[in-house]
Amino acid sequence: MQITLTVNGEQRELEVTPYTRLLDLLREDLGLTGVKEGCGKGECGACTVIMNGELTASCLVPAPQADQAEIITVEGLGTRDNLHPIQESFVEAGAVQCGYCIPGMVLAGKRLLDENPKPTEKEVRYGLSGNICRCTGYAKIIDAVMLAADKLAVEGSDSND
Amino acid sequence: MMRKSPMKQESRQTISGVDFKEYFQPESIQKALEIRAEYGDQIEVAAGSTDLLVANYEKLHEIKYWLDLVKLDQLKKIEVIDNELHIGAMVTHLQLMKSDLIKKNLAVLAAAAEDVGSPQIRSRGTIGGNICTSSPAGDLLAPLLSYGASFKLQSTEGERIVKAEEFFTGPKRNSMETDELLTEIIIPLTDNKREGSWIKVGRRKALVISTLTLAVVLEFEGEKIVKAGIAMGSVAPTPVRLKGIEAVMVDQKLTDLDYKALGREVKASINPIDDLRGTKEYREDVAVDVMVRALKEIERKVSS
Amino acid sequence: MTDQSKRIKDYFCKHTTRCTIEGVKKSKRFVGHDVLKADAWDKVTGDAVYPDDISFDDMLYIKIKRAVHPHAILKDIDISRAKKVQGVVDIIVAEDIPDVRQFGLIIRDQPVLIAPGEKMRYMGDALAIVVAETKEAAKKARDLIKVKVEELEVITDPFRAMEDDAPNIHPDGNIVITHHLNRGDVDTAFKDSAIVEENRYQTQFIDQLPMQNEAGVALYDERHGVVDIWAATQWLHDTQADVAQSLRLSKDQVRIIQPTIGGAFGKKEDVSVHIHLAIAAMRTGRPVKLCFTREESMITQSKRHPITIINKTGVDRDGYLTAWETKFIGDTGAYASSGPAVVHKGMYHATGPYNCPNLRGVSHAVYTNNTYAGAMRGFGTAQGAFAYEQQMDILAHKLNMDPAEFRLKNIYKKDSITPNGQQLTHSVNAEETIKRVMELSDWKGGRK
Ligand SMILES: Cc1cc2nc3c(=O)[nH]c(=O)nc-3n(C[C@H](O)[C@H](O)[C@H](O)COP(=O)(O)OP(=O)(O)OC[C@H]3O[C@@H](n4cnc5c(N)ncnc54)[C@H](O)[C@@H]3O)c2cc1C
Ligand code: FES
Ligand code: FES
Repeated sequence: MQITLTVNGEQRELEVTPYTRLLDLLREDLGLTGVKEGCGKGECGACTVIMNGELTASCLVPAPQADQAEIITVEGLGTRDNLHPIQESFVEAGAVQCGYCIPGMVLAGKRLLDENPKPTEKEVRYGLSGNICRCTGYAKIIDAVMLAADKLAVEGSDSND
Repeated sequence: MMRKSPMKQESRQTISGVDFKEYFQPESIQKALEIRAEYGDQIEVAAGSTDLLVANYEKLHEIKYWLDLVKLDQLKKIEVIDNELHIGAMVTHLQLMKSDLIKKNLAVLAAAAEDVGSPQIRSRGTIGGNICTSSPAGDLLAPLLSYGASFKLQSTEGERIVKAEEFFTGPKRNSMETDELLTEIIIPLTDNKREGSWIKVGRRKALVISTLTLAVVLEFEGEKIVKAGIAMGSVAPTPVRLKGIEAVMVDQKLTDLDYKALGREVKASINPIDDLRGTKEYREDVAVDVMVRALKEIERKVSS
Repeated sequence: MTDQSKRIKDYFCKHTTRCTIEGVKKSKRFVGHDVLKADAWDKVTGDAVYPDDISFDDMLYIKIKRAVHPHAILKDIDISRAKKVQGVVDIIVAEDIPDVRQFGLIIRDQPVLIAPGEKMRYMGDALAIVVAETKEAAKKARDLIKVKVEELEVITDPFRAMEDDAPNIHPDGNIVITHHLNRGDVDTAFKDSAIVEENRYQTQFIDQLPMQNEAGVALYDERHGVVDIWAATQWLHDTQADVAQSLRLSKDQVRIIQPTIGGAFGKKEDVSVHIHLAIAAMRTGRPVKLCFTREESMITQSKRHPITIINKTGVDRDGYLTAWETKFIGDTGAYASSGPAVVHKGMYHATGPYNCPNLRGVSHAVYTNNTYAGAMRGFGTAQGAFAYEQQMDILAHKLNMDPAEFRLKNIYKKDSITPNGQQLTHSVNAEETIKRVMELSDWKGGRK
């Protein structure tokens, strides 16, 4: 069956089957391997994407349910030479170790800041509560999101002035 | 030769190992009911798919027929009709916790929705899916019982309204027929002052299947309790409504009640088991404490 | 966070963990500076390539048929129906690879595939390698493989395994290895002690749970006879040597290429996907991919050892340790993995950072039919820490002594000698650490 969806701003038409998960579709058919599989059961958040504006575990979405959806993966944020402030903050805060959870964490952080630009530490923890990291112990990931909030606030005030 | 993007799409389509036959994504309830009637228990109904894909992990290719409700926009609404709140079966946990109508009128349900899984699960998981999965640990179920909710089940033959406490028949079992779909959840509203409390006990704060849940909803006229809804999850084969305790509370002033004694009544009315999430003994002891905590919380809310 | 807990956290960051911190005396280049992680850019953009991210044109997918019982003799394996699944390219069973040898980190006791007449020893043992054009076909075929077994007693408790009438899980018996530790005159010292305290401690299985499951791809270059394997390992050259000996290849015929690893914590010390990948690539001549599910990773790959620790500890009236006797019984599961080293090392750390002149110890790593146990952060010492710190608290209580003071009396200092005879000649800051913790936490002798 045919579906149409927008991935990182680009409209795609794809032939899919229902036993293909959105995760497989993004990774295998579109080559967006920044989307990771850690559990396949919604528990770890490694496969997180932003779907229609909300955090979504792409391992729990049969591909046809993504018809007409708007998807953002980590590849849609910034590139190596032009990082999104949230990505930059993860690098600077030392929040990255093995990196396997990081694409999901970055997206969860971004989604949180889109809605709540000045979160408290507690709000950051709640916002990231669907993402497991086994390396860092979270402290620096939380620092990174707070740092990103500061960066975005400065950027925002610049553009408003 | 090495590339980061593999899999020729046609190979996935043509090469076998799959039982898949048909995927239905109807845009009207009528059409959905017809498909449901035709395929009965042969077809897997998909709402937010969060339970479905976990249950069928590694064997999605074995599902023959799919009925996807995702395009039924009629089931995504929350509306007030004749002093009743009608919640569409496809309303997500995220919608519930954000909806002003729900927060204002059904605060206990909103609080329970906020405790489901994680942001990634709440954005997809639906109230209909939570009800139809009928897990004794389903977080929305105790609140629905304590608000006196009813479920609208539709089929091509017509519709019937089933009270929540009659719907659940066992662990992951319910009284829905294989030609029916759950379309709406109906909850009576009231002009009385309603206060409530939601307590979820689990091993972590997020992504945790409840060890025990308690939903208490009290309706007041002045200081007098005129209606009580008390229900628990994960303490019996189904979510349970504790009608005996409700009866004791009605027509009383909250502050006249002996909270600890009521807690002990709760303990005596439940029938938990030992499982991975906690022992029977643990659950019984905690049941006493959460009841006391819930009543104190309501007392605080009422007096402020 | 209170100021106080913040201070404690900072202190620990400086002294014990990998965090970077401000305010340390700075050297000119790296020490004391924030150094940004070189591969962080790749990891925040999704560019980093982990094993599962690698694919080839024309690639085949592998699924492994695993044991159906934790301790049973394989009587028969029937792949006839599985072979008929459309898209299946090859199903490899033990009789197809008669020359392949067992593998293992320390003892080569793990079979690549279980042959009829041989035993499966835990639920992770491999019975067949299914290779197909799609994942779905591979899964379907795997599930159609029919197996007949003769069930044996399942041993889940190492104490049962050590009994005389317990069936042998491996031919040479169930005790993989025994180590001893002896120093001074323990018996006299116990006799002269003011207090002797004996307790038994039990730790549990823990999965290291790295976020990325075991996964890999392999490619066979027939002309040069070289197989390339992209898969994670924590011992690149040991894995290469083990794979090579198992497949009877020379080491230069096996290339292991380490992609980015999504965590390991000890779990990726053992061979996982490597040999099966190589066999499938060599037999089919096509690129192959094998990714474990989380469930498969949990069932198949190593765990932290559950260790039963029996500690008998003596102190004199002044609060100095006099004698320590210890027993470490580690459940290493179906295969040895790092078990012989882990359990043994745990025993050598049985007294933790505390001086004790008279020591006696014994450790056994024991086979059971549980998932095998191997390396995990601390390599046996984490289990021991739980037991010796409890001993210290109990003894302090019995001596009616502040547990911090009691520890300070016995703590390692420069020139202390550890149970295995190592003299600590520099960088012994345990005493300083305890004192700082007491200061930062406003330690009041264990009273509120
Ligand atoms: C990681 C994770 C964490 C979770 N945490 C929680 C939690 O904390 N608390 C909790 O309560 N639940 C939790 N769940 C379970 C699940 O997310 C919820 O039960 C959710 O509400 C299910 O809704 P769904 O729309 O995803 O259901 P689906 O998976 O789409 O459907 C579930 C079942 O109901 C049937 N069904 C769904 N809608 C209808 C309908 N309208 N008519 C007829 N049949 C229907 C389907 O056929 C299917 O059998 C969790 C799940 C995961 C994966
Ligand atoms: S892979 Fe989707 S949540 Fe773990
Ligand atoms: S950095 Fe390794 S899991 Fe988070």
